Amino acid sequence: MTALKLSDEIEQKIAELWPRFPEDKVRKVLCLPVLYMASQQFGRVDEEVIRLVAERLELPPAHVRGVATFYTMIETGEVGEFHLQICTNIGCMLEGAYDVLGRCKKRLGIEKNHGTSADGKITVSEVECLAACGYGPVAQIAQKGKPDIPLYFEKLDEKRIDAIVDALLEGRVPVELGV
Amino acid sequence: MPIAETKIVSARFDDPEAKNIDAYEKSGGYRAARKAVRMDPAEIAEQVKASNLRGRGGAGFPTGIKWGFVPKDADTVYLVVNADESEPGTFKDRHILYWDPHLLIEGMICASRALRVRNAYIYMRGEMMREYKVVQAALDQAYAKGYLGKRIFGSDMDLDITIYRGAGAYICGEETALLSSLEGGRGWPRLKPPFPAVKGLFGKPTVVNNVETIANCGFIVEHGGKAFAEFGTERSGGTRLLSVCGHVEKPGVYEVTMQTTGREVIEEVCGGMRGGRKVKGVIPGGVSMPVLLPDELDVPFEFDALQRDERIREVEVHPGQKFDLGGGRTLRTMAGSGGVVVMDETTDMTKALWRILHFFHDESCGQCTPCREGTGWLVAVAKRIAFGDGRPGDVELLADIANGIAGNTICALGDAAAWPTLAFLTKYRDEFVAKIPRAARAVTGAAAALETSP
Ligand SMILES: Cc1cc2nc3c(=O)[nH]c(=O)nc-3n(C[C@H](O)[C@H](O)[C@H](O)COP(=O)(O)O)c2cc1C
Ligand code: SF4
Ligand code: FES
Repeated sequence: MTALKLSDEIEQKIAELWPRFPEDKVRKVLCLPVLYMASQQFGRVDEEVIRLVAERLELPPAHVRGVATFYTMIETGEVGEFHLQICTNIGCMLEGAYDVLGRCKKRLGIEKNHGTSADGKITVSEVECLAACGYGPVAQIAQKGKPDIPLYFEKLDEKRIDAIVDALLEGRVPVELGV
Repeated sequence: MPIAETKIVSARFDDPEAKNIDAYEKSGGYRAARKAVRMDPAEIAEQVKASNLRGRGGAGFPTGIKWGFVPKDADTVYLVVNADESEPGTFKDRHILYWDPHLLIEGMICASRALRVRNAYIYMRGEMMREYKVVQAALDQAYAKGYLGKRIFGSDMDLDITIYRGAGAYICGEETALLSSLEGGRGWPRLKPPFPAVKGLFGKPTVVNNVETIANCGFIVEHGGKAFAEFGTERSGGTRLLSVCGHVEKPGVYEVTMQTTGREVIEEVCGGMRGGRKVKGVIPGGVSMPVLLPDELDVPFEFDALQRDERIREVEVHPGQKFDLGGGRTLRTMAGSGGVVVMDETTDMTKALWRILHFFHDESCGQCTPCREGTGWLVAVAKRIAFGDGRPGDVELLADIANGIAGNTICALGDAAAWPTLAFLTKYRDEFVAKIPRAARAVTGAAAALETSP
């Protein structure tokens, strides 16, 4: 038995979704929502979390692992408390997304297009189209343990991205700038 | 008039009150649902057929015909709304979800009646947290009023609607991948046939429709299929939403008539090109659709015209060699998802193509070799051309790789990478060739090109 425990919110979600699916299929159906919520609860999904989810839903760990690694919103690698993802796809690129990404990386001392600040707190990465292309460049911020976020940030320019980075450096998501 | 006078799906956009069920009802909402639950299912299906409604998710398939594929004697039928919207350039469904969630719910009630559905699902993109909260709140309101659940509107019909959230994977927008994901597995597409309408979710007949497609169903039930058909063209009823991004003055989501041309979209709907610059290229339906040149914009941005109008050039593999869509059919472009990307004269087309290919390579699920390997090569070659490291024969190589992917994969993501490649090369060939350094261009021979990739 593992020492971790799924949160009450996850148990509530399981109870809510259970009657909506055929009894003989529902365990597998729940794998994705439970993994996603566990990824938020624990910050990332490692082997221990995979075992926990597998036990709870009575599924083979290999299946759970396969699902966990398929979806990008289920964090399997190390990420900071804040994950700032900037869309650089075509709509946002035409609006200068690479400049915004570059500025962010520079301010946080990150070299690659996916990296974490030296203090381990803020991860910046490129993300694919967020379905807000007319209001680009667009970014999304996720915060560990805060299932109410991700939040979108639209029409980023130098000033707005600076304000976002400032807030993250202060240790908070600038909710007032998001949509 | 390019902007639709009667707004079928966007009437409540920008009205923050509309999310509230009382305000929605005051503005005429749930009249169609009340009518539908007392109608004969076959009659609703007939009206949808007569409406000439075509799928707004990408393929433009006639909705009534799709519904007709569901076996009449099926004991369980599922309805799944595709709210995974992630084709770059497309952001219209997110507007419906956020501004008018009850319109979608009402459409789902009508569709569920027609298809005898007991359990319907909304598969929603995981990133859409804001929209998830709004739609869930709307569902809660509808349950509280008895519009969902058991014996809805006091009728003999039971219906549950459940949101299932994705978790970041473009491929889950493809309908069979979506079903794999909704069953709790990896989002792997499946070979068709069998089509979902015959064997879909949990092996049962399943109709998968786009958000906008279903949002139109309330109007059709309330006003009849004929009234809906009359807005459109002979073979495509209603209006359509376009999401326009890029170098126009006013990007955004607009409900336009089917007859609206690309030029009208730019000049009249979106207030012209930004800073008065010239247009260089327009992608009419999400990045998987072939790009249009400025002289190809006088064609209505509608399913049939974009596919057939001879003012749009046919896509080629190499100069003079037309691309074969199968059965000798040629490819001009398609209406796709309604995601319009406008690029002005300052745009570097080699970089635009590279970024598009980067996306498809990232999102390939890896099941088929031509797609997995092919998109990797495409992005490698496109990248070195775009960043000035192109080699002799790279343009031809890019075209050959794309042609080798097209038509040889399980799902259409392979085509979605191949088509824009061939279209960019057909229409901006000189720009691609000019990007390859002079010294390199002098030598020919494509074989050397594959040695390394950046
Ligand atoms: C790679 C790929 C991605 C797709 N993504 C979406 C999507 O995000 N939303 C959508 O509605 N349809 C998407 N489709 C189309 C669906 O497979 C399906 O045709 C559509 O949901 C059917 O609904 P409709 O008939 O109402 O258009 C995609 C197709 C492919 C091949
Ligand atoms: S074409 Fe690509 S995305 Fe589609 S099934 Fe094959 S590998 Fe997966
Ligand atoms: S391209 Fe950035 S949100 Fe669509």
